[in-house]
Amino acid sequence: MAMAPPMRYCVPGERLCNLEEASPGSGTYTRHGYIFSSLSGCLVKTSDNGELPVVSVTRETESQMLPDVGTIVTCKVSSINSRFAKVHILYVGSTPLKNSFRGTIRKEDVRATEKDKVEIYKSFRPGDIVLAKVISLGDAQSNYLLTTAENELGVVVAHSESGGSSLLYPTKNCLFLSLGAEVFRWYPSAGVRCSVPGHTLKNSAK
Amino acid sequence: MAGLELLSDQGYRVDGRRAGELRKIQARMGVFAQADGSAYIEQGNTKALAVVYGPHEMRGSRSRALPDRALVNCQYSMATFSTGERKRRPHGDRKACEMGLQLRQTFEAAILTQLYPRSQIDIYVQVLQADGGNYAACVNAATLAVLDAGIPMRDFVCACSAGFVDGTALADLSHVEEAAGGPQVALALLPASGQLALLEMDARLHEDHLQQVLEAASQAARDVHALLDRVVRQHVREAALLLGD
Repeated sequence: MAMAPPMRYCVPGERLCNLEEASPGSGTYTRHGYIFSSLSGCLVKTSDNGELPVVSVTRETESQMLPDVGTIVTCKVSSINSRFAKVHILYVGSTPLKNSFRGTIRKEDVRATEKDKVEIYKSFRPGDIVLAKVISLGDAQSNYLLTTAENELGVVVAHSESGGSSLLYPTKNCLFLSLGAEVFRWYPSAGVRCSVPGHTLKNSAK
Repeated sequence: MAGLELLSDQGYRVDGRRAGELRKIQARMGVFAQADGSAYIEQGNTKALAVVYGPHEMRGSRSRALPDRALVNCQYSMATFSTGERKRRPHGDRKACEMGLQLRQTFEAAILTQLYPRSQIDIYVQVLQADGGNYAACVNAATLAVLDAGIPMRDFVCACSAGFVDGTALADLSHVEEAAGGPQVALALLPASGQLALLEMDARLHEDHLQQVLEAASQAARDVHALLDRVVRQHVREAALLLGD
């Protein structure tokens, strides 16, 4: 097996290179015109064509990430209120979190249109899995503030009201479940979840 | 104790070390799997264990969260069996609070807290056997634990204690030398830049001797850094080997 060039390991405080030779990436910081390492791990130098190479330090086990403003997060609804829904943030992007963070989806952030006519009870239920975007880190009184007022965001997995074992799943623009006499349908982007009793659907429209 | 000389005429201390010599240091990282980061250090007979959790959401009152950086929360405790006599120490007693505050001051200088706004990093240190240089062993163990957790730091934080006897500065005091009652300095250093994270002394020392004591403590801290550097590199290499192939 061909041996790759020996890995260079670095420790925090180690001077890696000049700011003119490379630009700092993750796991590094700059001081007095030099790039220093801030993690203990392997040095990775990626060279883009034409631009300065990016120097970063990576570890085998990724350390805890925090949800940042503008990131898409996956969360689970823990409780609902007439004004907001409280959620536990489980994934940041595609990285699972070791400890969940708490977030809030306010009534006016559920969808982009007809914000005042939103009813939280009809949009979320405890236990729903929601894709949301972080709009604020919060202040002294609140947790992370999230929004679902975009096309790709909203409830993606939920349990139906009738049976505990039936899962609703997303289709092209709404969720369908055929359960004999009742069909539950909702539109994630609109944040509305409603039931249409009396209809049967053999195959859900995809 | 009459007749106990801390520094003999030939320049040997009570345990046979020279004035600037450190005690034997052994350290291990990644001692516990369930914590985010952990480390264990033995400095002579002083044994300390450090565990780091974080960064995670603020526990307790959210109003204490800082809007632009992470809050570093340090807790120091000594095991009941750590000293010569078994002594039960209540959890919030003054000495432990003061140590916790000093550790917090030390690590807020080193950890890049701006990367984690509105979150909390917990550092818990426990002294299992106290034979002098408790603060230094705690800082060294906590540095390794923070590195193990992958929290970015400006530099290592290396600490050592120093004293002054018979015109000579002694580095890395043991319990016998501390109990003798001379001046003791605890110093925490960021080796790459040479900046001091913490300098503490509560005794009387003549101004003329201060420079000598500080230099002894700084040199000892740099020696500790060389050792911790080796431990960290070894650990990273082993971890890469385990996962790489």
